[in-house]
Amino acid sequence: MIGAGWVLVALGVAAVVVAACVTVVAPDAFARLHLLTVVTSLGAPLTGIGVFLLDGGGLAGGLTLVIVFVLALTGPVLGSAIGRAAALREGRIRRGPPA
Amino acid sequence: MNGWVLGSFVLMAGGLGPAGWLAVRGDPVRRLIGVCLAGPVVTLTLVLLAHAVGQASYLVVPLALAPLAFAGTLVFTRLLGPRP
Repeated sequence: MIGAGWVLVALGVAAVVVAACVTVVAPDAFARLHLLTVVTSLGAPLTGIGVFLLDGGGLAGGLTLVIVFVLALTGPVLGSAIGRAAALREGRIRRGPPA
Repeated sequence: MNGWVLGSFVLMAGGLGPAGWLAVRGDPVRRLIGVCLAGPVVTLTLVLLAHAVGQASYLVVPLALAPLAFAGTLVFTRLLGPRP
């Protein structure tokens, strides 16, 4: 269990770092948003599950799972909101409720 | 240096560095994406640091930061209107 926990934490940290570094060189806002979702939907849950396994199901592990659940829940919402703002600025859509 | 500290340092250097670079350069949307990226990275860094020092109570900070970073970034999306 401990070995698996460390592997998951390492994979999560690696996913976050790789996605963050590629975000800098991504060509446009929408590609950057795609990579942002990798951080919240892949890196954070992997890290949280790894921490939970390392903690052995204690209070700290449970709190960590709650934190990464909040991150995984709010990440796509933020991506959608920023994508809409970017599309508005570029004139791809008009202000108002989504069609 | 144990694995928790190493992980938090890697996140700070490899995650917070690019987020800060994005947040200070380019157009407003690019900068907002940098701010948005910094939220989860700092949250995960604080989680690992709390485990590094062995204090479960320190997890209250990332627990509060996760929803607050979300709300703060949403406010900025409302301020990005169409290009004049």
